[in-house]
Amino acid sequence: MGAAVTSAPNPAPRPERVTRQDVETAPAGSASGGRPPGAPGRTARPHRARRENLAGYLFMSPWIAGFLLLTAGPMVASLYFAFTDYNLFDAPKWIGLDNFTEMFGDARWRTSVEITGWYVVIGTPLKLAAALGVALLLNQSRRGQGFYRAAFYAPSLIGASVSIAIVWRAIFSDGAAVDRAQQVFGMEAGGWIGDPDRIIYALVALTVWQFGAPMVIFLAGLKQVPRELYEAAQVDGASPWRRFWHITLPMISPVLFFNVLLETIHSFQIFGSAYIIGSQGNACGPADGTLVYTCYLYIQGFENSRMGLASAMAWMLLLAVGLVTAVLFWSQRRWVHYEEGAR
Amino acid sequence: MLKVAGGSLAALGLTAAGCGTGSGSGDGTVTIRYSWWGSEDRAKRINQSIALFEKKFPKIKIKTDFQPYADFWKKFNTQASGGNAPDVFQNAIGFLRKYDAKNVLLDLREQAAAGNLRLDGFRAGLEKFGEVDGKLLGVPVGSNSMALVVDQAVFTKAGVTPKPGWTWDEYHAALAKIQETQGRAGDAGPYGIMYLYDLYLRQQGKAFFTTSGLGFTEADLTDWWSKAVTRVKSGVYADPKKTIPVKPKSAVTAELAGCEFTWDNFAVRYTSEGKSQYGLAPIPTTDGRKTGQYLGSLMLSASKRTKHPKEAAQFIDFMVHDPEVGKIMGYDRGVPATTAQNDAYVPSDEVGKQIAAYEKQLVESRVLEPITPHPAGADVCEAAFMRLAEEMSLGERPVADAVKQYFTEAKTALSS
Repeated sequence: MGAAVTSAPNPAPRPERVTRQDVETAPAGSASGGRPPGAPGRTARPHRARRENLAGYLFMSPWIAGFLLLTAGPMVASLYFAFTDYNLFDAPKWIGLDNFTEMFGDARWRTSVEITGWYVVIGTPLKLAAALGVALLLNQSRRGQGFYRAAFYAPSLIGASVSIAIVWRAIFSDGAAVDRAQQVFGMEAGGWIGDPDRIIYALVALTVWQFGAPMVIFLAGLKQVPRELYEAAQVDGASPWRRFWHITLPMISPVLFFNVLLETIHSFQIFGSAYIIGSQGNACGPADGTLVYTCYLYIQGFENSRMGLASAMAWMLLLAVGLVTAVLFWSQRRWVHYEEGAR
Repeated sequence: MLKVAGGSLAALGLTAAGCGTGSGSGDGTVTIRYSWWGSEDRAKRINQSIALFEKKFPKIKIKTDFQPYADFWKKFNTQASGGNAPDVFQNAIGFLRKYDAKNVLLDLREQAAAGNLRLDGFRAGLEKFGEVDGKLLGVPVGSNSMALVVDQAVFTKAGVTPKPGWTWDEYHAALAKIQETQGRAGDAGPYGIMYLYDLYLRQQGKAFFTTSGLGFTEADLTDWWSKAVTRVKSGVYADPKKTIPVKPKSAVTAELAGCEFTWDNFAVRYTSEGKSQYGLAPIPTTDGRKTGQYLGSLMLSASKRTKHPKEAAQFIDFMVHDPEVGKIMGYDRGVPATTAQNDAYVPSDEVGKQIAAYEKQLVESRVLEPITPHPAGADVCEAAFMRLAEEMSLGERPVADAVKQYFTEAKTALSS
């Protein structure tokens, strides 16, 4: 894949590469001219830098205080709670790894892992495929493209809201839009909301519908691909598919990697839509059909008042997401192509 | 991903910081916080009642707060754990032992002895309902009881007339008749309603809960759920795949079923929700006489950490005894607990009259039994019962598996 890029003729060398070379060679040239021009600046610099650093930290201090008090502090506390039996009322009691052994032996916990896994594995690729597909269409200049971009992006702004989740529930209910559309094709399966095996796909549909945010990032990536690569490929007679596969995809692979990473992590954290679409009577139902990981964490923590177990679950999720992220970073060496010099 | 756990801690910190429960200002005016669960309609009635109270007790101000049932307990639990429970709050029998064990509830006997809270003038021995281990932890504001809410048009057209003392067999025969003639399921599905299963067990001399655990065996539950699964399949009970999406609307008002077991005071809601006429029918029996019913009730409790126990007691007394409040509240919280309030309110609507007649008949026919407060963890047991019954009815879990899982979860909930 990378070979196609580097072997492609480059009629207009990219200007920034030239300037960088200029900058790099310039000091060497002037240094040989006797007087070291950087000498006085070098003594003044640390003092100024220190003051600037201080100012920087000062400006950051509200954020740092917020991070320590509201993020780092609670995280450390929850790490401790993960090894305790804690019901909010009585003092936490140290129980070692009991929370973890209980978790792994709990069939409901395994259900939640399974459902979250499916959601991530199905939802994320579909969403990214939709985002990339629409981004490719919108990358060509045509009338009203500003409007289309805004229109496709809009669901990302409102998709996480409670009201959209309620609307979603209504759309996928018995006799509602989706059910009727199915009947047109002769499927008499009923709505998805009452079916524990299909309700998860209503959640997947909701996340795919919000493809606007990764789409915008893809669009930015597509704009960066040099025109001349396509022109050269066209001269060589490459089909649109080959151009996509050998030019577009490698060139935007850093953006693709970024989107995969972001959306995967995001998918693991699904909570609001699952809780609202799934909870009527029983939380995250029907029959645990929308029992995603964070939903079960919430039930254990706030309905069953088992904060110790919930903390252990939270840390388990952190470990899992960390592991998946690490694997993604490791795999990028094989498929992500950074431009020379940009690495 | 850690937002949930972190959020709870942040909430803890915040509640701890805002620990000044109620405040006394310079002129001796005292503010107490009162929270409850319920609907917008209940909020309107309660605010009217509070206006009356503040007029009568100008030195006491009431600050209010309300949520739907499930959210109320989540918020309350978090507040109470931070030592910041509202001074006065709505309560129910399933939560007395739970929060007594956590040292949250004020023993109101002291205030009763001091004359700030009257314990006379209650109907049907209701003043005993809030007693746990000799402590007075709640004062009933109204009573309710499980009933069968029926779509009267459907029952009349099917030619079915429930009578007091009818048996489960007669009830199921009636359901089958409705299914055959009316093109909808007989019942919405009674198998997941903990309070109904409790009645069924009581008819056999058992109960859902003992003071510390479950009062039935795996064999009992297997029997109850196995029969249910057959009836869901045959369509006598409504298809859960149809009833789940219409929630929170009832399967009866959504015209998916002819009747449904629920609390009698909920009948008010059905009338506003559905197009038909709705009425109350008696609970089916095993031996033709015993229904196992008892009066349940909403209560008012006070926080053990309130700085104004006297004012809290005075407020509870007013909400429970004042005839004007009785008129304003109607049957919203069940049939008023005190004779003073019950006499003050005469229902003019059809549903109100039915509820009054239903409870009057219950008291007079002497079928009522005493109720023991549920053990701590009962609320988790109820949620698990509902959920596993749903899984079982959807065919997601074989009955044997659901029963086993239920006993596992109940054991965990009742031991923690």
